[in-house]
Amino acid sequence: MYNLLMKELKLGVGPFFYAMPFLTGALMLIPGWLYFLVTLYFCFITVPNMFAGYKTQNDLIFTSMLPVTKKDSVKAKVSVVVLLELMHIAVASIYGLISTRLYPNVTYFFFPPSPGFWGLTFVMLAIFNLVFIVMYYKTAYKYGAPTIVSVTAAILFAGGAEWLGIQSSFVSDLFKGAGLDNLAAQYSILLAGIAIFAIFTIIAYYIAIKRFEKVEM
Amino acid sequence: MLALEIKNLNKKYEHFQLKDVSFQLEKGYIMGFIGANGAGKTTTIKSILNLIRLDSGEIRIMGKDLIDHELELKQEIGSAFGDIAFYTRSKIKTLTKVIKPFYRNWDEEAYRSYLKKFNLNENKRISELSTGMKVKYRLALALSHGAKLLILDEPTSGLDPVARDQLLDIFQELVQDGEISILFSTHITSDLEKCADYITYIDNGRIINSAEKEAFIDTYRLVNGNADQLNDMEGKLIAYKKNSFGFTGLIHARDLDPSWDVRSALPSLEDIMIYFSKKESAYV
Repeated sequence: MYNLLMKELKLGVGPFFYAMPFLTGALMLIPGWLYFLVTLYFCFITVPNMFAGYKTQNDLIFTSMLPVTKKDSVKAKVSVVVLLELMHIAVASIYGLISTRLYPNVTYFFFPPSPGFWGLTFVMLAIFNLVFIVMYYKTAYKYGAPTIVSVTAAILFAGGAEWLGIQSSFVSDLFKGAGLDNLAAQYSILLAGIAIFAIFTIIAYYIAIKRFEKVEM
Repeated sequence: MLALEIKNLNKKYEHFQLKDVSFQLEKGYIMGFIGANGAGKTTTIKSILNLIRLDSGEIRIMGKDLIDHELELKQEIGSAFGDIAFYTRSKIKTLTKVIKPFYRNWDEEAYRSYLKKFNLNENKRISELSTGMKVKYRLALALSHGAKLLILDEPTSGLDPVARDQLLDIFQELVQDGEISILFSTHITSDLEKCADYITYIDNGRIINSAEKEAFIDTYRLVNGNADQLNDMEGKLIAYKKNSFGFTGLIHARDLDPSWDVRSALPSLEDIMIYFSKKESAYV
């Protein structure tokens, strides 16, 4: 499994995709922006490009000829996606801290960066992973439809959350008002988000293995 | 000992079917796997590498069942697809570094010596290699991880005559010690005349014949005769072509009746392939 992970990191993921978190993360510096977009860029750009790379480089057959189980090859790909997602969130949250200090007096129409907001981001990526990984492993090479559907699902979640943040005074208070100082609430949301992210991704991983067993090269 | 044993493979696709494919390869020999384009060579090879799921049948490599011992056996199989390249923008160096940790018997010294022998420059990208060099690189990898069975899908197609001849010499050298066995598919029959010990011929998803090369050719006769003789023997011919003097056809040696008094000769592998595919199309 370690060898497969190294193979993904060295061959599958181009250097550009390691730079992406720093580029998209910098968007956190736009005052009062729609920050869900920052991590969505991972879904818009990194995922389809990376998986297009797998397709054009015949990764499916390349990997299948190595002495590895199908299960491990799914595990390696899912791990890489998760690793990059964590990188995107980690870098963006650091830029987020800078952003809140740079512009202390901005009025936020959308959610400002806060532990709770990152919790919501985890949920958004959880939904993305569940849809993308499960759909992708139906063929293990077609990435277009899985990207469209999973990105749509993620946008619907983000849009819905922002809409609630505007419509509901409770949500607005929690993520934009006094709730920001309630660290217990903020970190509980973050932890819940991480838990949902983990659970959804693990479910996706198991369904993907089942589907991949049936895939023919 | 058998390096490869295939029993009753069946695999149905929408427009194509492998039907009861069976053959075996003795350890230390080269088997040529011939057939027209679309006859089922690659499908059979993919099933040997467990890349597709079989409807039924059994594959044993070095006496072990492929499905039960897949990981262990893949350590001992080397493969090359003539027409598929992987990670073509990567350098040989990079690719090897990624591939070698997967193999527990990786022999770095052997790898270095094969690079030298095959004239492979580690700093070249895969896309910069000629078709023959790509196959040689795959061979270098396979041999460095101690592969005992080489499964090569059309390794010689697209090569110039010199490169082809070189590659065939390498194949023969490899099997000399009796440890390595090679199955390679091709539609270039002259390759097999040069280096194969066994021939397996597949046509339209079915194995027509699998035998030692001389015996394989000896199974058939190419016959020439006039129109009257054609009338006598038409039912026995596998297929025939009419020409202004009469006909030329392929017949099973056992069906050849000396009383017909036709000219007969040993066919080439190409003749066998051509007449069998003609027979097939006559039924369609």
